[in-house]
Amino acid sequence: MQLTLARHPIAELRFGASTYLDKTTLVIDREELGRLLLADGSLQEVRFEIVHPGESCRAGPVFDIVEPRAKEPGCSPDFPGVLGPPLTAGSGTTRVLAGAAVTVLSEKSTDESRGVTGRVLEMSGAPAEASPYSSLRHLVVVPRTRPGLAKHAIEKAYRLAGLRCAVHLARAALGQPPESTHPFEPVGPARKGREGIPRVAYVGQIFSRQRKPAVDEPVLYGLNTDGMLPVVLDPDEWLDGAILPSYHSSIGGAETYFYQNHPVILELYRRHHAGDLSFVGTVATVAGSDNFDRDRNCRAAANLVRWVLSAEAAVLTKYGGGVPHADLAETARLLEGYGIRTAVMVTDSSRDRRVESALLFNFPEVNAIVYNGGNGTRWTLPRAERIVTPSAEMAELLGGPIELGAANIIGVTNQQGASRLRGVVY
Amino acid sequence: MRVVHYLNQFYAGIGAEEKAGIPLEARAGAVGPAKLLDQLLGEGARVVATLVCGDNYAVEHQQEVIASLVAKVREERADLFVAGPCFDAGRYGMAAGALCSAVHAELGIPVVTGMSEENPGADLYREALYIIDSGTSPAKMREVVGKMAALGKKLVNKAAVGLPAEEGYLRRGLLRDQLVEDTAGKRLVDMILAKVKGEPFESEMLPAQFPPVPMPPPVKDLSRAKVMLVTDGGLVPKGNPDKIEPRAATRWGCYSIEGRSDLRGEDYEISHGGYDPRFVQEDPDRLVPLDAARELEQSGVIGKLHHEFISTSGLSNPLSNTRRLGREIAEKVKKEGVDAVILTST
Repeated sequence: MQLTLARHPIAELRFGASTYLDKTTLVIDREELGRLLLADGSLQEVRFEIVHPGESCRAGPVFDIVEPRAKEPGCSPDFPGVLGPPLTAGSGTTRVLAGAAVTVLSEKSTDESRGVTGRVLEMSGAPAEASPYSSLRHLVVVPRTRPGLAKHAIEKAYRLAGLRCAVHLARAALGQPPESTHPFEPVGPARKGREGIPRVAYVGQIFSRQRKPAVDEPVLYGLNTDGMLPVVLDPDEWLDGAILPSYHSSIGGAETYFYQNHPVILELYRRHHAGDLSFVGTVATVAGSDNFDRDRNCRAAANLVRWVLSAEAAVLTKYGGGVPHADLAETARLLEGYGIRTAVMVTDSSRDRRVESALLFNFPEVNAIVYNGGNGTRWTLPRAERIVTPSAEMAELLGGPIELGAANIIGVTNQQGASRLRGVVY
Repeated sequence: MRVVHYLNQFYAGIGAEEKAGIPLEARAGAVGPAKLLDQLLGEGARVVATLVCGDNYAVEHQQEVIASLVAKVREERADLFVAGPCFDAGRYGMAAGALCSAVHAELGIPVVTGMSEENPGADLYREALYIIDSGTSPAKMREVVGKMAALGKKLVNKAAVGLPAEEGYLRRGLLRDQLVEDTAGKRLVDMILAKVKGEPFESEMLPAQFPPVPMPPPVKDLSRAKVMLVTDGGLVPKGNPDKIEPRAATRWGCYSIEGRSDLRGEDYEISHGGYDPRFVQEDPDRLVPLDAARELEQSGVIGKLHHEFISTSGLSNPLSNTRRLGREIAEKVKKEGVDAVILTST
């Protein structure tokens, strides 16, 4: 398996009579795109808006953000298990419209814990400085679903709209010379010639069973993760569409965009290519629904890292809130017990800003902790010149001035590794 | 900038232990270490008064000393209140901490003190106050007062205060958010590389330290004991009458189970955002085991089941808050004469 990303940097998005890529300008035929998204009948109507970095613009509630990418013909499918058969992702060339994003809104906030505003894309000001999404050019998809659809069908419609749109746009790059190509050196436990270099694995939670997934909720190759045990994946599978976030955004936030541009996996690759470490592979796991489930999953994940990947060290990230936090720590504890060194990344659990409320574990060996911030940051967003949102009520609500916490600005507290907001002990 | 400085009798040059009983007195201008503070604060700031009190007097008459000191600091229209440094002098540290807290609370002006980490005042006040780490040696007076002056000026000017290592204060055990250059993903990989190679690394969070909870003595005779059911799984009567929040709950409720031996899903709801509640909703006895407890009561294994159960929601709750909830619930249980509690969680 070898994945190559062919990058086409995008400096401008604009609407036009047909969809094509003109050097760094992506021209989008929105009527054609609309027809594509309306074809399956779940959406009654769809609008598109283009949003630029630095603009006084706010869009929300955001359902998901996807980087426009398309596979070369003859390679693995786009988003296998969702848009095509569940064949192994990550082989051949993928066209990437770098700097562009497809941002799908939902009609209302899909997650009660985010409040009525849901998560908001903010394109200027202090919150924009803290979100990696604010420097992208977005095609915002504003859907209206057919009345009477069940919740899971509505969410599936949003998911499919985002993925189809992203693939459709990136197909404009097929046949054009990319600015650069990035082949990833094959990695895995069996690679020779890297003796003496630390062997590092990545263990990432992709779902938390605190909530039952919808029957047709695609997370791993279209599977909703029910009954799933931890599984070994090639890092390229994460980057190339095998994994999607759950319909419920996790506490810190996880979006398709940062599976495609996974900050931990890309950093492990970078250091692998530099000869600092030997990247031996990844394990995708879930947080449990009860203690038996926790023990099963944590042990299976740790055993895969030990026996299948033969790692000397592992980095771990979580998906969701407190239960995943505890499961992450338990997995790290088991790994440390095997003599495998660990570093973990957690989200901010301290609502009272006291260190004593920050962690949900006290394992002395789990002592390398990256701590994302968030609970101490709120912004008053000024009145925005442009609000992109599905309804008049939401427009009223999001118009501003409005005070929102860091976790409500998409990207700021991302727990896939993209966040730059740190909790600092003082 | 007008500064008022507090010293004990020793550093004010009045005397040692034999003068520890003198009451609070005010000196115009700077005395002793206050002179050094005045000098190190530099232009635009001066110590307008030095307040002095004996170590014993300050501890034995704390309320009186606080009241008259706050009044004097107000009279002086101070912009900054400084106490100490106290090094490892315990009574001095306790007084400085209490006085700084009171001045800050009542007058809203910045306060700075200095102590060694071992000073009992540091334990008590390090979260609430900026306490410059003075170490135990008064020979470091100049260096310590210099740090106190620098931090005090920053606080008065509302300038950004750096981390403990930068400013020299004792770590307060609090968190603040900071936007940094490197992503969390890069920091994570940097950290594991250092750790696996045996190089030094700095975790971004301190290990949690929970004091051990002593095992309570066993129930003497369960067959005569009054037993109560308590849960943090968020089971509440339909309509959630006490409005118990589904996360970071600030309230708990007490609900009658008198004359009942089974809980029915249609009478209850679950106010808890952290677990899949379907099975409890279907049969609340799975969380609050009333059916099983009644059987134990009828067969004489337990003496009596208390006629109410207590419920709250245990999710994303800071310890400062859960301690209070726990205390209140324990008081209620005690008041009801309950001998044993079955505590169920999710």
